[in-house]
Amino acid sequence: MGRVPYWNISYGIGIDLLAVPLIIIFLYGLYGHWKRIKQGKARLTFSLRNSSLKIGPVYIGALFTKGILGSRIYKKLFTGVAHGFLFWGMFLLSIGTALVFLNVLFGLPVFKGAFNRWFMSFALDAGGLAALSGTLFLLIRRLAFPPEGLVAPKARPGFVLMEVAITVIILTGFLLEALRIAHNGFDEGAFVGNWVAGLLGGGDSLSLHQIVWWGHGFVALAFIAYIPYSPLIHLVLAPINTSLAIPVPGPKMGVLDFSAFEDEEAEELPSLGVCKLTDFSRKRLLDFSSCLWCGRCHEVCPAAQTGKSLSPKGVIVTLSEYMNKDKFQDDSLLDEISANAIYSCTTCAACMEVCPVSVNQPKAIMRMRQHLLMERSEIPDIMGQAHKSLEARQHPFFGTGSGPNDWRKDMDIPSFEEGKTEYLLWIGCAITYEERTQKIARSMVNILQKAGVSFGVLEESRCTGDPAKQMGNEFLFSEIAQQNIEEFTSLGIKKIITMCPHCYNSFTRHYPPLGGLFKVVPHSVFINSLIKSGRLELRNGEQTICYHDPCYLGRRNNIFAEPRNVVASLGRLIEMPRNRENSFCCGGGGGNYWAEEEGTRINQARAKEALDTGAVKIATACPFCLLMLTDGLKKYADVEKAYDIAELVNNQLKDG
Amino acid sequence: MHIVVLAKVVPDYEVPSVDFELVSNRAHPRYTRMIGLYDENAIEMGVQLKEKHAASLTIMSYGRKEDIQILRKSIAMGGEKLVLIQGTSDDPFVIADNLKTAIEQLGGVDLVLAGRQSADMDRGIVPGVLGEMLGSRFIPQVSAVENEDGAWKVSQVTETGLRELEFVGNGVLSITSVPENVPRIPAVRAIFAAKKKSVQTMSGRDGDESWMSEVSVEIPKMESTCEFLPVEDMNETAMTLLKRLKEERYL
Ligand code: SF4
Ligand code: SF4
Repeated sequence: MGRVPYWNISYGIGIDLLAVPLIIIFLYGLYGHWKRIKQGKARLTFSLRNSSLKIGPVYIGALFTKGILGSRIYKKLFTGVAHGFLFWGMFLLSIGTALVFLNVLFGLPVFKGAFNRWFMSFALDAGGLAALSGTLFLLIRRLAFPPEGLVAPKARPGFVLMEVAITVIILTGFLLEALRIAHNGFDEGAFVGNWVAGLLGGGDSLSLHQIVWWGHGFVALAFIAYIPYSPLIHLVLAPINTSLAIPVPGPKMGVLDFSAFEDEEAEELPSLGVCKLTDFSRKRLLDFSSCLWCGRCHEVCPAAQTGKSLSPKGVIVTLSEYMNKDKFQDDSLLDEISANAIYSCTTCAACMEVCPVSVNQPKAIMRMRQHLLMERSEIPDIMGQAHKSLEARQHPFFGTGSGPNDWRKDMDIPSFEEGKTEYLLWIGCAITYEERTQKIARSMVNILQKAGVSFGVLEESRCTGDPAKQMGNEFLFSEIAQQNIEEFTSLGIKKIITMCPHCYNSFTRHYPPLGGLFKVVPHSVFINSLIKSGRLELRNGEQTICYHDPCYLGRRNNIFAEPRNVVASLGRLIEMPRNRENSFCCGGGGGNYWAEEEGTRINQARAKEALDTGAVKIATACPFCLLMLTDGLKKYADVEKAYDIAELVNNQLKDG
Repeated sequence: MHIVVLAKVVPDYEVPSVDFELVSNRAHPRYTRMIGLYDENAIEMGVQLKEKHAASLTIMSYGRKEDIQILRKSIAMGGEKLVLIQGTSDDPFVIADNLKTAIEQLGGVDLVLAGRQSADMDRGIVPGVLGEMLGSRFIPQVSAVENEDGAWKVSQVTETGLRELEFVGNGVLSITSVPENVPRIPAVRAIFAAKKKSVQTMSGRDGDESWMSEVSVEIPKMESTCEFLPVEDMNETAMTLLKRLKEERYL
């Protein structure tokens, strides 16, 4: 006998009628989220070059890949597959349920022929089985062997209830199917239903079927109505959040507008940074609502993994709890999260990279840091000294033993001349004021001279202002940046080679909104092009070299291949376990080069990872990374092992 | 209560010795100019006293007009008024005399705070001379000040320890650096507000500088010698290092 909807059920329409108020409860829950999110500020749009397809504010590619397909979930294989089974299984079952409704309402012939056999029976049984196995895996993992990220700093309540509810819904669904089959006979395609019917031993209980049918219906409807009030709201919010995230790597801090402060007439001055929820943009509040508390960010965060008080998950969780408690105007937020945690962020963006729902953790943290520094003048002591030096000297290297021209001592280096010189070789503060990194510039000068590149340097090295931005002082950053832009413009500078990824990132991301439009090339990319075009000839060695990805070059700007090509032309490239977009920070970002670290030192953890590869040399392409790794290696090795790629290339130049 | 803090704009006090050069016996003009190191501690202490006692706080400087931009930081830190006495002398008596006149013109000044050294090429003379000229008590190397029932309670840091002092009436204190007076970072809105503040400028008087003539100024020559200490036992190494530094009279 073919399937009949509401078979053995009187007043089955009651379940449809009950759906109406429950859907209203569902929609009311969604409205509650919108009501909370809309208390944030409308997003200020600023242009960042990217070629992604966009309709209104929605990035279509991200919507499908990260939002609907959940592509990032699969970065953790078992959890990803379990999640995929659960999601797609439930998706199939939802389609099946919707088709049943359409059959009841409009007589859609879904219970006939091959469609019934292959979809309504086989596919739905397979979907149920997949969803059941997925949910059981997640439930058992959560209860019996939760990964660190799931429980640190705290586990999310509510998931267990929903996972148990799904299990109950699926099991009662199979039981219903089995009871129907037990009474009506074998159902082709319903392989689970047939098997369970077999287990029932041919027992035929019409009254049990009725009880289970109503129970299944009530639980399923209650489950759906409860979704917006539970962690499963991510089903709705995650695709929205991922599709609204600008698909450019890194936190995209933009620049702040200080014109209101200049305005003599201004009655109310804006608060800088963020000290309460309403200071955040709506997109950030959507981030906090979408967070799954999965803790993947916690597991990759260099601060959290080395015993600092910062956990990106912890920060987002606190923010979402403030939202749920309607504490939108409560400025205890920063104290709750703690200045210590806020300043421990190295802005490495590892958390963003792994977040399955595209939460922008570093931006939230940086906004709070901006408030701490620009409004409350709070900054850790050593970072404060670097900041003071930036204010007074326009570079953060307080107590340096180097003068601004020491790096070029005994070298004949041309100054940039308008109309004559093509590239400005930008030296930057980290190379100027540290003896170890001065060798990078000296090597680079040699390389450029060997390759016959037209380049020049500024009379006196300067800083881009990036450390000020990273410490949270947007105002100081824009003052320094504007001075640089004026000088570059007056000198007719159009093309810049950088040796520091922080400078590269500043020039390309933060100078354009201030009017500084230059063609900027990181030295790793430039050297690679010189090698490829045959302008540099190298002696290839047999030595093994592992490459450490600087966060601001790799994860922040997707430059992974070029430095590796350079290293591969010098010796045998070895990868560290955490490499490319999953690279582990050296610990020096976010102004933390000037920090007294709590817990294990991040640079030592990374140096150990590099040493454990057994590589003879450790290459990097950032002066801060070089300084941090050199320092970190001191704990484990007596000899110098870390080098910038420019130094390595310079040492292996033919006729060099 | 009216407090005056003396602040002087000086060439970068952290120029590495390898890079330091003199022009006409003074630091090369290429060095960045900034508020003197200890002067900032004095400003911070002044701001703390202002906040605690609802006092008036005036920042006073002897120097050039171009210094005003740099001195605005002291207003952003919490100073209420900025007075600049224009002059270029680096004779401590001339500077003190000019400051004395300006302080008397302000009237009603109860306490003058100054960095323990800076304005006079780190000689630390101006505050003492000024105290004498004003007829006020002068206490050098001060790390903390309290006002209790009209009396000033002062902590003085000496090489051998800490002295607690007390006096009534006007005083000139030269301030040393302690963790409690680490200069605050001005909030951005305070920086903008400071930009808009008007500055009182007055012309300084040239004084008689003939009391002493400067024969020559030299900067110490850089010498480096290297000695490696064994590092098997860090405690032992630290002890050896201490012993060696004492032997060589660095400590
Ligand atoms: S940006 Fe890096 S340091 Fe900051 S929270 Fe994210 S993972 Fe942690
Ligand atoms: S921010 Fe992202 S990665 Fe971190 S806990 Fe939330 S969902 Fe997971």
